[in-house]
Amino acid sequence: MEAAKANGKILILAEDACAYPGADAAGQGHMSYSANTYIMRVKAAVLFPEQFYLDCFHKGIAGIIIMSCGVETPYHGAYEALARRIDRVYALMKQEGLDIRRLRLTAICTVCTRAFIKEVQQMQDLVSQLGPPGSEPAAAAGAA
Amino acid sequence: MAKKKKPEPKTEPTTGGKVGVYVCHCGGNISDAVDVEQVCAQARKIPGVVVARDNMFMCSDPGQEMIIEDLKSGLVDRVVVASCSPSLHETTFRSALARAGANPYVYEQANLREQVSWVHHGPAATSKASRLVAAAAAKAGQLKPLAPLRVEVQPRAAVIGGGVAGLKSALELAQRGQEVILLEKSPFLGGQVAQLDRLAPLGETAARIIGELAAAVLQHPAIKVYTCVQVEGFEGYIGNFKLKVIRRPPGGGEYAAQLSTLSQSGQGLGEFVPFVGLMPASIPETQEDIHLEAGVIILATGMRPYGPRTGEYGYQKFPQVVTLPEFIRLLAAAPPGDTLALEGRPIRGAALIHCVGSRQIPGVHEENEGGYLNEYCSRTCCGASLYAANLLRENYPQTRIFDFYRDIRTYGRGQEELYTQAAHNQAVFFRFEAGEEPQVLENPDPQGPPLLVRVQDVLTFGEEIEVPVDLVVLAVGQEPNPVADLVEKMKIPVAADRFLQEVHPKLRPVEVAVAGIFLAGACQAPFDVGETCAAAGAAAVKAAAILSRGYVELDPFVAEVDLSKCQGAGACVEACLADGALTMVELEVGGQKVKRAQVNPVLCIGCGACVAVCPENAINVQGWTLKQFESMVDMVVSDEYLEGA
Repeated sequence: MEAAKANGKILILAEDACAYPGADAAGQGHMSYSANTYIMRVKAAVLFPEQFYLDCFHKGIAGIIIMSCGVETPYHGAYEALARRIDRVYALMKQEGLDIRRLRLTAICTVCTRAFIKEVQQMQDLVSQLGPPGSEPAAAAGAA
Repeated sequence: MAKKKKPEPKTEPTTGGKVGVYVCHCGGNISDAVDVEQVCAQARKIPGVVVARDNMFMCSDPGQEMIIEDLKSGLVDRVVVASCSPSLHETTFRSALARAGANPYVYEQANLREQVSWVHHGPAATSKASRLVAAAAAKAGQLKPLAPLRVEVQPRAAVIGGGVAGLKSALELAQRGQEVILLEKSPFLGGQVAQLDRLAPLGETAARIIGELAAAVLQHPAIKVYTCVQVEGFEGYIGNFKLKVIRRPPGGGEYAAQLSTLSQSGQGLGEFVPFVGLMPASIPETQEDIHLEAGVIILATGMRPYGPRTGEYGYQKFPQVVTLPEFIRLLAAAPPGDTLALEGRPIRGAALIHCVGSRQIPGVHEENEGGYLNEYCSRTCCGASLYAANLLRENYPQTRIFDFYRDIRTYGRGQEELYTQAAHNQAVFFRFEAGEEPQVLENPDPQGPPLLVRVQDVLTFGEEIEVPVDLVVLAVGQEPNPVADLVEKMKIPVAADRFLQEVHPKLRPVEVAVAGIFLAGACQAPFDVGETCAAAGAAAVKAAAILSRGYVELDPFVAEVDLSKCQGAGACVEACLADGALTMVELEVGGQKVKRAQVNPVLCIGCGACVAVCPENAINVQGWTLKQFESMVDMVVSDEYLEGA
């Protein structure tokens, strides 16, 4: 069970203008991090509907980090729309008994290598602690 | 957790694309950490993948040819290259597809170097690589041929920085028929080079280099020069950058010394003044806001000499300790004679200390103000120091030179000769180890020279030597000019050494991650004047290529409505972040007039805000569809095709 917990997959939605090059920069610096992380390059994470996140958890993804450009996104207004959507996802996660800490919205820039590593490590620690999605105690699901 | 039916993984390609997977060893960069053969074997088990091959360098001609042959033979019609980051070679491989007669957008890249082999090791690296390849193949199987979008380019370049790099870039662009705006923060053109006299290794004068360049710039009708300006606002994208520039008089006594020197020189506007530069226009009396539009931008923000801390090698503690740029200025004003005399004081012995503010080692050297160390070699100081030593010995033969170095790095044409010549000129060399830098002390002998340089000399097997001298010259290195505001506005990557970072020193030199912005000169690394001019020329040529074409082709990743699914809900129009990009139009479907969403591809920014809100998933961003992402996730979680290969 511990091994299964440790291997919980982390999906990283990395925005093309900032976080994806930021992840590349971490690689260029040979800054090691957990191998259970899968980075998907996205133009803007505002593209994903609420159900996408829930489906990811249903499929077994243990944690999702949205690495956005924050308010500095090249798409004016996209971050605000994304933040509102994530609030709705949190509400849906609570309804399903999912710990909302499994989904994290962050802003990572092209050179934010330390922040990138820190976010990955924190999510890794969390999914190791929580185990597979759906296995968390009901009381913990609302923890923010 | 509420009971939910787990969605079935959708691993079958939806379009039946024949996907070819090509895995790169990257000369060992990938294959040292990832079992490439196993990745290929596992890729062959992915539905839709018809071939999986590997090559030492997929970006090489043989590697690309492998893809082209498979496309031309009809074996594959979709391509996945598993190699470095797409930021480096996506364009390379799309071009290969185009050369094969295929659409360049039926291509997906799996990032196995920056995001796998350089950060993971062992079986976990191979497993992750295989999953990323599977995810890329799942997406590639669903890719459709697309046509690029064409964007008109504002027909001018903005060059930021009026030093030698900015001047050279502006002139090269203008000579290629391009309109240029040159922006300089100070009232002067010439930058740091104007603060020098003769330039190593060949001895041209800064006055001639800057004087000629600046005169050519000022006389060229295609170049508009603005001095005393600061870039306050930046927006836009390649082809259409918008700059808000404020032109105002310098405040707080800034440039007062240079303005005083200029005033005393008797020189006028447009004339070069040694150690000042060339002032092309009067200082503005009031503040003026200027709005500029440019198709491309060249950053030529330059460097500044390292400023030693108070007490570092006795700097600012003893008046006889100066930096090399300060010494060059003193030397230029010194009267002729057998012995150098500075401000009336005879210099019978002078010490040169190398590597001041360069090659600093964590844990060995003290951090500078701001908490950083300059771990890099500034490259130019050895040559400049030896050039000054030769000048001194040849013009003032009674002044002795004692050269304290860690290593001599006289790289490049004409530089090693400086070292040989210095030895021939009887400069006396001492070598020190890192952490055992020479100490500059007050000479206890009141009859002797004022300073004493003490060193553990490596050349005499660690003997402690004390050299009485009248002058100590610190060969300070280069630091990037502080342009944090500009960097922040433009989102330019900055390297760990604080210089601006080009995308790739060999594959995409002078380019930065932001398309349409180029680097010229010492803002990206310590350069000498020749190297600066070469980099400035490269930036100008790349910028001119964009401007002369008149347009750029952008990726066609904009929204597309599937009219077979659209029910006219209109949520996409409400969610759209680009005014006018999405509208509801009346169409006739099945003999009935209905409202449907319509995309204006020129105005669409491709963010996908519309995608998330459509209840029918009737709108998607071309090349980045929701279904493609879902398929990628399916492959990330699936173990079905990754085991037993």
